[in-house]
Amino acid sequence: MNPADLPPELATPPAGLIDAVRAIAQGPLAEQAYAIDRGAYPVDVMKQLAAAGAMSAHLPQPDGTPGDYGLAIAAMAEAAKVCGATGFMMWCQCVAGLYMQASGNPALTGERLARHVHGESLGGTGLSNPMKSFAQIESLLLKATPVEGGYRVNGTLPWVSNLGPDHYFGAIASVQIDGACAGREMMFMLRCDAPGVTLKACPEFSGMEGTGTYSVHCKDLFVSGDDIVADPAKPYIARIRGGFVLLQCGIAAGIIQGAIDSMWAVEGQLGHVNQYLEDRPAELQAEFDALVARIMKLAETPFDTSTDYFIDVLDARAHGAELCLRAANSALMHQGARGYLMSSEVQRRVREAQFVAIVTPAIKHLRKEIARLSAEEMPA
Amino acid sequence: MNTAPAHITPIAAAAAALQALAPAAAHEVASVGPPFNKYICHACGYTYDEAVGDADSGLAAGTRFEDIPDDWACPLCGVTKADFEPYSAPSLDELRARATGAAPVAVRSGTPGVLIVGGGRAGWQMAEALRALDAALPITLVSACAADVYDKPLLSVAVARQMDPGKLVKETGADAAKRLGVRLLAHTDAVRICPDTRSLRTTRGTLRYDQLVLAHGAQAALPPALPAAHCWRINHLGAYRRLRTALGTEPKDVLIVGAGLIGSELANDLALGGHRITLLDVMAQPLARWPGEQAGGPLLDAWKDLPIHFVGGVQVAGVEKLGGGYRITTACGQKFAADQVIAAAGLTTPPRLAQSAALAWNNGIAVDAATLRTSDPRIHALGDCITINGQASRFIEPIARQARAIAAHICGGEPAPYEAKPVVVRVKTTSRPMTLH
Repeated sequence: MNPADLPPELATPPAGLIDAVRAIAQGPLAEQAYAIDRGAYPVDVMKQLAAAGAMSAHLPQPDGTPGDYGLAIAAMAEAAKVCGATGFMMWCQCVAGLYMQASGNPALTGERLARHVHGESLGGTGLSNPMKSFAQIESLLLKATPVEGGYRVNGTLPWVSNLGPDHYFGAIASVQIDGACAGREMMFMLRCDAPGVTLKACPEFSGMEGTGTYSVHCKDLFVSGDDIVADPAKPYIARIRGGFVLLQCGIAAGIIQGAIDSMWAVEGQLGHVNQYLEDRPAELQAEFDALVARIMKLAETPFDTSTDYFIDVLDARAHGAELCLRAANSALMHQGARGYLMSSEVQRRVREAQFVAIVTPAIKHLRKEIARLSAEEMPA
Repeated sequence: MNTAPAHITPIAAAAAALQALAPAAAHEVASVGPPFNKYICHACGYTYDEAVGDADSGLAAGTRFEDIPDDWACPLCGVTKADFEPYSAPSLDELRARATGAAPVAVRSGTPGVLIVGGGRAGWQMAEALRALDAALPITLVSACAADVYDKPLLSVAVARQMDPGKLVKETGADAAKRLGVRLLAHTDAVRICPDTRSLRTTRGTLRYDQLVLAHGAQAALPPALPAAHCWRINHLGAYRRLRTALGTEPKDVLIVGAGLIGSELANDLALGGHRITLLDVMAQPLARWPGEQAGGPLLDAWKDLPIHFVGGVQVAGVEKLGGGYRITTACGQKFAADQVIAAAGLTTPPRLAQSAALAWNNGIAVDAATLRTSDPRIHALGDCITINGQASRFIEPIARQARAIAAHICGGEPAPYEAKPVVVRVKTTSRPMTLH
């Protein structure tokens, strides 16, 4: 086995895109990975990856070929193997593209989507709060009041990623009429440079600081029909939720494979002591390969709206996060002090794995949501 | 690399350092007027303490929350003042007590032993049978509900016997677990079997197993014409209690779809409780699954004086909510109104776990007739979720014998092969109890 290779399921997609992503990941991205973790936003790498098609494989192609979620996940994994933060930003860009494409709004699907796909403009997603709201974990933070020609939006979202002064992201606000909740939500693309929007830097996180993460304040932000993704938002979310969560598996897949690779990297020297550890690389690889096979199977039907499918997606995402934690931790045990150096990718990956486990939907959210969806529905 | 501390901190100094970790009073100011309050951020959990203020944002200690400017933002996550709510720290003792009562989560250490999925009769009978053969075997039981022990057949006669649905529990799941030395994960959903790693993924973590026993039962089949949000299905105590609460104390109009065993028994019992029953079935008579018995006629005769209106030969086409109740339409165009609708159109095994492990399936989890082993050598199954040669047998009597057969197969020693016998069914239609063969 060549440990530098991804498992067969990830390696089989058309060589073109994956080769291109690998060249960027192991070239310019590898050079910047430490700086990205400490706070440098890799705008050039993001644009190169987008231009290569790494963040649009899941979208229907211009020639009519349907989108390939498996390929999009494999591309994300290829970058996340080198830099988890970049894998995460690729997911942000991927889902922002999905929001626009699936909106059916000509103002979002035309020129704006084309620029997004080519990496000429970048975007993210502010759906952490709405996802938790729909799973009955917290309440919606943005409020939208209908006004002539659109909505006026107020409120603040904490921690939205892949943002910059001229970026944009998908957001959901609860619709208010006469100051009371109207019982529906609307989804829109929020432009960071629109009047009334302020980006504020967040306190320092323990890692992944270069992800362009800000809190976003909206004061009387006007949202016109051109920016509306879905109104009402819930039926639309039901359609894209599977793909949205499934794409995140690419981040975990890259981090897990990177961790396993770094175990093999010291096997020659340290195998004689590492044999006493649990979670050895071959064992983790077998579990990971089975998980990847499951993810690739799910990636064939990303728009399946059945509850059973979504439970499978949530469980695959949870398994990815759990395996991330085990693999990254075990890699540190395998590498010892050299992996604990500040400059080492091995300890950086521990923090990236922790991020995968806590970012929405976190492991605990995933389990709570699976429990909620598993309960038999009965009359109220 | 040497990361050992340069010196050992004396115990006394350590104790002082620990005390210093206790909530600090140093920055607080004495309260003049009403006591200081705390406010918590919805988004990130930061608490604003009026006594302490927020020096970084220029809010002096003692600044009242209502005096904070509206453009102040959470210093941690940046949301606005409006996203805070009053906060009083809960008592730690109370939280600890609550956490002790919560279901435990999976742990990865130790010998996995036998893992049972299902906290109904089949699950507990399995635990009993295993414990009888091996006092030391680690047994874990995963249940989607509290796994309280009760007699399911009583759900068919509880009204007539004036039994309080709240008092049907014979032993709580926690007590049964204690008695049998079983680790119980209650309120835990089993999500997926990973046969390669011999583990079960659940909503409270992943459990490993040496042997897995599926005892998760079946669930009510729900044809597309019967939406889950509009129709009760009575297959466990939890749903039954909720139905009884919904029915309340006044007589109601109840429509039951399906006049098999469960549908007929429920119709009988609820009618004896004064409710007005409409009972529908695709067949011309109740209990038509036993054609040789001709049980339908005598049963209808016995129901003559009860408020049961049986309509045979009809297919339900739809159920819709109408005001406070429901309207049920049949394919032939008849309409019925009801306060509550109960679906009793048969049972089906949920395929999720079996599919995840690629277990052989034949109208249910296919098991070997003698050992009740599935197509995976480390997985057995019993009760309502299994079929033998494609036949389900969803009755109480075989369960204990099935559990003993599996326990013998798992623990070794004297084999106790299961024998499928013709089942004698006692119909608990108290107006005319009968036995079907």
